[in-house]
Amino acid sequence: MQCFMCGAEVGNSKVCFNCGADILLYKQIIYTSYVFYNQGLEKAKVKDISGAIEALKSSLQYYKYNTTARNLLGLCYYQVGETVRAINEWVLSKNLQEENNPNADRYLAEIENNPGLLSKANSTIKKYNQAIEYCKAGSRDLAMIQLKKVISQNPNLIKANQLLALLYIQDKKYADARKILSAISKIDSNNTTTIRYIHEVKERLKAENTGRRKKRNDVVTFADGNDTVIMSEHSFRSMLDNSKASFMNILMGLVVGLLICFFLVVPTVKENMTSGNTETVLALDQELATAKSDNKKLQNEIDDLQESLNAYDNKQDIPTSYENLMAAQNLYADGDAQGASEYIQLVSKDVLGEAGKATYDSLYAELSPTIIEGYYNDGNTFYTEENYDSAIANFQTVVDIDESYQDGAALFLLGDSYRLTGDTEAALECFEKVVELYPKNKWGKQAAVYIAADDTELSAADVGE
Amino acid sequence: MIDFEEELKKYEPAIEVEQAEADIKARDLTDLTDLLYNMTVQQNNGTK
Repeated sequence: MQCFMCGAEVGNSKVCFNCGADILLYKQIIYTSYVFYNQGLEKAKVKDISGAIEALKSSLQYYKYNTTARNLLGLCYYQVGETVRAINEWVLSKNLQEENNPNADRYLAEIENNPGLLSKANSTIKKYNQAIEYCKAGSRDLAMIQLKKVISQNPNLIKANQLLALLYIQDKKYADARKILSAISKIDSNNTTTIRYIHEVKERLKAENTGRRKKRNDVVTFADGNDTVIMSEHSFRSMLDNSKASFMNILMGLVVGLLICFFLVVPTVKENMTSGNTETVLALDQELATAKSDNKKLQNEIDDLQESLNAYDNKQDIPTSYENLMAAQNLYADGDAQGASEYIQLVSKDVLGEAGKATYDSLYAELSPTIIEGYYNDGNTFYTEENYDSAIANFQTVVDIDESYQDGAALFLLGDSYRLTGDTEAALECFEKVVELYPKNKWGKQAAVYIAADDTELSAADVGE
Repeated sequence: MIDFEEELKKYEPAIEVEQAEADIKARDLTDLTDLLYNMTVQQNNGTK
């Protein structure tokens, strides 16, 4: 290090041994200059360009040969759009340190290699200065036009942006002002003027929004498809009233429709249903009558067929009847009247020829007592066993052959069997016939008792043989 | 509240290219080391 007074080499000593100058103080000044440079560099790195410029200016006020700080100061000016100031700093830097100043050489070389840049910057500066003149003359509209041109050419010119924002604030275009201030705060984040304007805009927007909210109470906004409809409250209420009226009309229409349905349609439907039901019932009745008629016809057919079947069943075939007749004849000839009577009852007289019928009649006449006796005995057996239906069948056969068999005993027992089965009419008919035929014997007397007193206490044991 | 007129006074015309040389020449480049130099010179003169 050289002495700032005599230029002698001083090394690390605090005093120049040649001239006695205070080297320590000189070193402290230079050190302070570099401290400010470091501050400026840190601020520039965080885009606090205003702060960096102030720090770098301070650095250069301490030590003007701090070319690093000067080059950085020029770069900061260039960043905020002040191209001429930047060039001045780099030119000064080059003049103060011609050798070993590569940054200044590079920056100046770039400017020289791009002559259009300089003319453009000059044009921008002229317009900016013109805008200031317009502002001071009160022509804010012209000033705004010029400033917009300036910003379009040099968006980083902070001062132009700030002035335009100021004009917007003055014209109460706070949103536009905020937009510009927001943009330049990204270039120079800690510019006090910008910050002050932003606060101003915020305050005014806040106040404006408060007033607008009061106004907005009278405004109704709603979405209609992709469109947003804004209406005054009065118009909206009117529309709602119209909507209410429409709704009421629809409601009234529904009510009238329901009433018409209830008083006109429903009775008709009911009538149709009743008519339909009546027709259905009549049709069903007709079908039932037809079915009954058919059923009766079918039943008659069944009866006829059953009768035919019975007749067929009762009929024995002719050979069998003749065989039974011959067997009966042979057994009777052998003296077995009982066996003969059993065979002759198996003979079907209808299928026999004339000769067979004659033989049958003569043999049957001879075997009748045996046959009757068999039926009578069977009837008595059934009567004793209280099987009155079978008893009636046997006694009826006996009575059909000989009504007076056993002095009216068969007839009486037939009547009594009827009495015991509850067939009083048939019983009385039998009893009357017994009384008529044998009024004096026990069957006639007992029958008379039944007829007179309808005495039912006489048991079969009392009247049986 | 910002006073527009007062605020407007803070805006000064920017240096144009034509004015750059004059601006450089007009620049007072005196720094603290110059002051120290002058003070030391004066001090030495006074001592003599």
